[in-house]
This record gives sequence, structure tokens and C-alpha cells, in this order.
Amino acid sequence: MAGMLDKLLSLDRRWIFLLVLLCVGTPIVLPIGLPVTTTGSTRAAFDYIESLKPGDYVWVSFDYGPSSAPENDPMAEAFLRQCFAKKIRVIVCAFYPLGSLGLATNSLAKVTAEYPNLRYGEDYVNLGYKDGAAAVMRRLGEDIAEGFPADVNGTPLAQLPIMKGLRSIRQVQLVCSVATGVIGEYWITQVHSQIGTPIIIGPTAVAAPKYYAYLNAGQLVGMLGGMKGAAEYEKLLAARYPDMARFYQSTRGFTATKGMDGQTVIHAVIILFILLGNVAYISRRAAQKKGA
Amino acid sequence: MPHIPGIETWIAALLTLACMSFLYKDNPFFRFAESLFAGISLGYFIGITLNQTLVPNLILPLHRDFGQNWDLLVPGLLGVLLYMRYVPKIGWISRFALSIYVAYYIGLDFTRRIHGEVLPQLARAIVPLSKFDSHTILYSLIFSVGVFSVLIYFFFSKEQDAVTRRVARLGIWFLMISFGAAFGFTVMGRVALLIGRLNFLILDWIYPMIGLR
Repeated sequence: MAGMLDKLLSLDRRWIFLLVLLCVGTPIVLPIGLPVTTTGSTRAAFDYIESLKPGDYVWVSFDYGPSSAPENDPMAEAFLRQCFAKKIRVIVCAFYPLGSLGLATNSLAKVTAEYPNLRYGEDYVNLGYKDGAAAVMRRLGEDIAEGFPADVNGTPLAQLPIMKGLRSIRQVQLVCSVATGVIGEYWITQVHSQIGTPIIIGPTAVAAPKYYAYLNAGQLVGMLGGMKGAAEYEKLLAARYPDMARFYQSTRGFTATKGMDGQTVIHAVIILFILLGNVAYISRRAAQKKGA
Repeated sequence: MPHIPGIETWIAALLTLACMSFLYKDNPFFRFAESLFAGISLGYFIGITLNQTLVPNLILPLHRDFGQNWDLLVPGLLGVLLYMRYVPKIGWISRFALSIYVAYYIGLDFTRRIHGEVLPQLARAIVPLSKFDSHTILYSLIFSVGVFSVLIYFFFSKEQDAVTRRVARLGIWFLMISFGAAFGFTVMGRVALLIGRLNFLILDWIYPMIGLR
């Protein structure tokens, strides 16, 4: 037994990498369909958007890059689907320099293709990317056109029907920031705290713990923590909208719900490794004490 | 019916494998992918800032209506001054632009931090316990004890005595629990990225080639 534990402590970590690869890859080839339970912060976000009326404005900010797309893409697409299903007008922008604009454009193209009646410039608009997120957000409270003079195609805001009568972000009913890093915090501290616009955050799992402080302080309407939060949101959407239930069941594309199989399996394996590692460490220390 | 995926899928797949190969050991394929990524990222950043910020927010307004937008010359000029540091003789000029830049962000961040973080979260930490039911009181108590003990741990202006050392020790426990939660979330985040990459490799690259999609 002691010999086996010693072997475990000196195990080449590449074997662990291989095991992780198998544990994550197998559920992709052979899906398990493990259940997902919803949490209060995700339900609060979902219910808030549900409470909005057709014609209201939701600002969806793509504040992440391709490096966290598997976590953030499903959140952003879920927000867009819910807004479009409820005929809420959507304003999209991007603040993360490396790739967020491309992701925003792709997600909009993907989701709007599911709703052929939507018209660009009337039901939704893509304002593109801006550098210096905190400073731009400061301007949005005064005049959106000062931060974003034109949309992503270069069309001045004054020529877009969706922007008619919409001067400040104060008139927007909700901001959904799908974020990695600090930009989500800017939305809370720069826009919510100083202007009062309600905020929902969809952070990466790595960033999620710090957003709990804002959630706990009542500065967020709701929050989707990482891939798990996105999977919860997909479940809530599927339960509320039968069309989306069919979509999430039949789509061949990647969804957070599909990703949760691999998450669950690998978390079980990691817990097992932590336990084994600790047992081996404690046993070795006990043996060393005995020897001394 | 098998079909060969497009060249963009092949490039993405091979670069993914090159990056993952580092897990076995450092190698030229990984270093090539790393350098390529760094170079492309920088080029992309310059391009997107130019096309999406400088052109619509500075160059076009000046070009279309100079009389109304002449004030944009000031930030534009400050931006140019930043690059004077590369001309050694007049490098000192860049400090003016830098000082304005730093002062602006200090002002912006100061309000943001105080108004958006410190005050609301302090207000949440000072909750009258009498107003809540037993369940909320329990959470508020744990919360208050946690905040207090962690603050004591980080109070370095006075040497700790027997009492404050114990409170600080409790603060360490609270910190450890929060680090554990953060670690759990980090694992979930990193695994999510691996899931994303494997999904791409299996569903978009391998499956089409063997006719499964």
C-alpha cells in the first residue's frame, strides 16, 4: 500500500494530462446527458429579462475574446435568443480588444438567422468595438453617439431607426455584459453605480468569485457563473420556450449543456485525485515521523 | 459522406495541437504557435483600434465637420505626443501627454472605486441584524465575522497580541475558504476551455473527415 502511494506521489504528471483529456473527450463522443440544476443568481437574471416588455432596450456587451468563448458564447447567444423571442430591441457592442468584435458579429449572425423577421437597424444593431472601455462607458451616460458615433458598418447612429430617441444609456432597461477580466466590473462601477442602469453579468468561471461580492451587495440583477451558469440559462430558456427546447436538443453546434457532461466527469476525477494526493502525502509524513 | 474540412479548420486544428503539445514537452511547434499568436494579436489590436476607434471617433469627425469638431485635435495631439519618447532629443514632451492620461484615469478610477465598490459593499457589510429572520441573521453574522477577521489579518500597523492573533487566524480560515472556491471556479474555467477545443477538434475537424457529420 505504502509503495503504491509513493508511486502516486512521484507519478509523471503527463499521465494526469492524458486522463483529463480522456475524461473530457469521451463525453463529447458519447454524451451522457447529466442533469443541470439552476441557481438563484441565474434564475434572477432570466426572470428580469422575462419581465421586460416588447420594444424595451437591452444592451449586450461582448467583453471577452476567443480564449473564453466556450464559456461566454453560450451565455451571449442565450441572452440574444431570449431578447429576440420577447421582441426586445438589442444593442450590441464590444469592449475586449482581442476578438470580441468578431465574436459579437458571429453570435449576432448565428442567432438572428434563427429569427428571419428581425431587421438590422430596427430590431438590433451592432455598434462595434471601442478602445478605453471605462472612458467610453462614462460618455454613454451623457450621449451614446459620443462614444459610438457610428455602427460597425460606419452608418451614423442618427440614421438608424433603433437609435431614434435613444440618447443615453439611462434609457436602456438592462445591460448584459458577457465578460472576462475587468470590463464587467466597469459596467457595474461606472454605469450601474453612477447612472443606475441594471446589470447582468455573465463572467468566465475564473472571474466569477469576484462578481459574487457585487451580487451580494445588490449591484447586480443576476449572474451566470461560467459554463455552469450558461447551462443553467439554457435549461431555463428550454423550459420557458418550446422552440428553444427543440433547438437546444437538436443543434449539432456546441452548447453549454453539452459541455457540462465533461465538466462533471472531470470534476469527479479531480476530487478523487485531491483525496488520493492528500492521503498519500499524509501517509508519507506519518511514515517519516515514525522513522525519525 | 466524408468530406475534407476547409483550410481555416485545418489551420485552427493544427495550431491547437501545436499548443497542446507543450503539455508533453516544450517543442518548436509550440514555440511557432506561440510566436504566431503574439504577432497576430498585436497586428489585430492595431488594426481594430485604428478601424473601430481612431477612424470613426477622430479622423472622420475632423474630416466631415472640422468647425464643429476641432476640439478633437487636442486628444489627437496628446496621442501623437506619447510617441515622442522614441525621439531621444524631445522625448520629454511625451511626459505631458502621459501625465494628462494618468490624471484622467486616476480621476475616473477614483470615483469608480469609491462610488462603485467601496461604499456599496461597505453598506452591505453594515446590516442591522434585527431586521432579518434567523436564516438571514446567520448569513449576515458569518459575513460580518468574515469581513472583520480578514480586516484584522491585514492590519499591519500594530503588532498582534494574543486576542488579535486569534482573530487574524480566523481571518486566514476565511481567506483559505475563498481561495478554495476561487480554485474550484478556476478549474471549471480551464476545463471549459479544453472542452471548447476538444469539441472543435472532434466535431468540426475529425467527424467530417470520417463522415460522421
